[in-house]
Amino acid sequence: MPELRATLRRLQLRLRGERSGYVLMAPYLLHMAVFFGYPLLFAFVLMFHRWDIVTPMEFVGLKNFVRLVRDDLFFRALLNTGIFLTIHIPMQIIVALFFAELLNRPLRGRGFFRAAYFMPVVVSGVVITILFQQLFAFDTGLINRMIRALGGEPVPWLVSPALAMPSIALMATWKNVGLYIVLFLAGLQHIPKHLYEAAELDGANAWQRWWHVTLPMLNPTMVTVVVLSTIGGFSLFIEPYILTGGGPLNATLSAVLYIYNQAFYFNHMGYAAALGFCFALVIFVVVLLQRRFVETDTWS
Amino acid sequence: MRRICRHGCRIGLLVGVLLLAGCHRPTPMPGPENGKVRLVYWTAPNPDELALARELVAEWTAANPEVEVIVQPIPAGQSSEEVLLAAVAAGTTPDLCSNIWPGIVEDFIEAGALVPLDRFPDFDSLLEARIPETVREPFRSRDGHFYQLPWKTNPVMMFYNVRLLREAGFERPPRTYGEYLEAARRITADTDGDGLIDRWMGYRDIRPIWWQRYFDYYAFYLAASGGRTLFDRQGRLALDTRASNRVFDFFARLYAMGAFPKAVWTSAGSRFLKGQLATDFTGPWHLIWLEKHAPSALAYDVAPIPVPDDHEGPVYTYGDYKNIVIFSTTRHPDVAWRLARFLVSREADRRLLERTRQIPVRRGLLDDPYFASVFERYPVLRRFAEQAAYTRSVDSVPDLKEILDAFAQEFEAAAVFGVRSPAEATRRALRRIQMILDWNA
Repeated sequence: MPELRATLRRLQLRLRGERSGYVLMAPYLLHMAVFFGYPLLFAFVLMFHRWDIVTPMEFVGLKNFVRLVRDDLFFRALLNTGIFLTIHIPMQIIVALFFAELLNRPLRGRGFFRAAYFMPVVVSGVVITILFQQLFAFDTGLINRMIRALGGEPVPWLVSPALAMPSIALMATWKNVGLYIVLFLAGLQHIPKHLYEAAELDGANAWQRWWHVTLPMLNPTMVTVVVLSTIGGFSLFIEPYILTGGGPLNATLSAVLYIYNQAFYFNHMGYAAALGFCFALVIFVVVLLQRRFVETDTWS
Repeated sequence: MRRICRHGCRIGLLVGVLLLAGCHRPTPMPGPENGKVRLVYWTAPNPDELALARELVAEWTAANPEVEVIVQPIPAGQSSEEVLLAAVAAGTTPDLCSNIWPGIVEDFIEAGALVPLDRFPDFDSLLEARIPETVREPFRSRDGHFYQLPWKTNPVMMFYNVRLLREAGFERPPRTYGEYLEAARRITADTDGDGLIDRWMGYRDIRPIWWQRYFDYYAFYLAASGGRTLFDRQGRLALDTRASNRVFDFFARLYAMGAFPKAVWTSAGSRFLKGQLATDFTGPWHLIWLEKHAPSALAYDVAPIPVPDDHEGPVYTYGDYKNIVIFSTTRHPDVAWRLARFLVSREADRRLLERTRQIPVRRGLLDDPYFASVFERYPVLRRFAEQAAYTRSVDSVPDLKEILDAFAQEFEAAAVFGVRSPAEATRRALRRIQMILDWNA
């Protein structure tokens, strides 16, 4: 009998402990439920409805998806996002690696440079985009004025359909590269010194040491950088929204911008939800492929 | 731990209450304590119209002391339509609004946001006395009722610099595409010899913004098609493809020869004032701005927009109608209707003309001696009043905004950048519109 009482007492204490755990978790769960769970569930319901906020929701079955497969602009937006990623990710990796390598060396003012390169990451994307709008302006932009002063022809950074997306990718790289420099720097500092010593003893020159030691050892960081910049690149929105509005000739219409336009410009909430769902699937597949091809076992 | 639990519960309760409060649907503003009936009236936010609305309401309330009317500009937003949609969704619409674009009315009707005006016994007689049948019918809703009271129209016309055209050998403004292109060839020039063109035939915003196409593609399409809108009376797509092709081709030529700059300017008006633009396509509201800012040396006039060379008959244009509606959130529809009636009275219409230079939708405006002095004082305004009889609005079809966006996209491709032929642009626009219609069916 006393054993049973003791067991019950223990159970009671455990439950009390768990109860306080649930209470402590409640704000997070509430936040998740309100800002993640509910919108997700609602978006799922919306995919099969037509709703413009003001009129009652109407069930349309798969009609939103039927429209989606006929929608040239959505595929154009996907292609544009792909173009952006193709330019942005390699540029990001090369620039970030280059500066991480530099900042990993004994350099005077290293701390200052590390902070300076990180600065654009913490500045609002809107502010940076407005700044670049001034820099990229065709007639009055600072960059073109400098080119003119040097005797060159002004470059139609945002006016030419062929150059607009690369210009946006250049700007996005400038803004985000600081974060990836920090990641690569952390990766570089974790490479054991003895691997370099062993390679040196084997007669490897600087390039061979970098190619055969540094690069493979950075693979986990590389995967993180590729996945993070892919997801970040897929959510491209502020830059084309402010800089070009998706033009010229829809050359900078990103998938998220198109979804936004459908939802909040044309009030097609259901269709936008269907677009969002398909776009999420695309991101999922791309990230899965990246992990499959980029990730390797560093220590094997 | 017990304290943590207690605080946790309190915070949870507070968050819950706040969330529930956020879900609360606001009730209409309660009536004033002095027993008066209170109406909220939203008007266009521009200073002239707001001042006019305040003046008219002050007069009306002096004659109706039992009513208090709060005049407010439509709250700031990207466009009036967006703000009104948000207000409909939130149930915070005013009692009446006088700046309603007909293209949005069907959406409001579907949402049950509007009071049918033909339920008021004197509506039919008012409309009949005020508007000819041809103008009246397009405003009838698909369910057969009238929810909007046609108030004013702003025909899109061609402002032109008299001196520049005269110097180019044109004693009268160009009437056809051929004449306009010829004038463009003579006028477009680099006047200071720096190698860059600094005088153009005209300017249009090149961004693919749907409503910007009212001032080029849509107005020119209506002119070229003899006033045919995009849809027929049954709501079927009925685009005049030949007219559409000709409009795309006309603008493509202008952009290709550099007569229209491929640039985004914040104010084309100021370039017109400086004599850098020979023509500007806009509505009569622009007159007030010109009167305020034009140098005395600038001689300008207004003419109908150019049409294809073989065009016969009157020149139609886009009318940019703005109408009055009563929202169903009102608790005093009869009082709101009385105010709406006053806003379209002869006195109010005359003041609309004088104060804002906008054209009231009124039968016999040019023949009525009551308005004659206004047209004598502002002779250019007469041209807009003459054009008002040959205007078209937009079709009452769902998703009109996206339909016009399809033309805006093609205008950019075919006219501004010249990467598509006019026929291909029309075909692509039609294909996209058909997709939107099928989705909506």
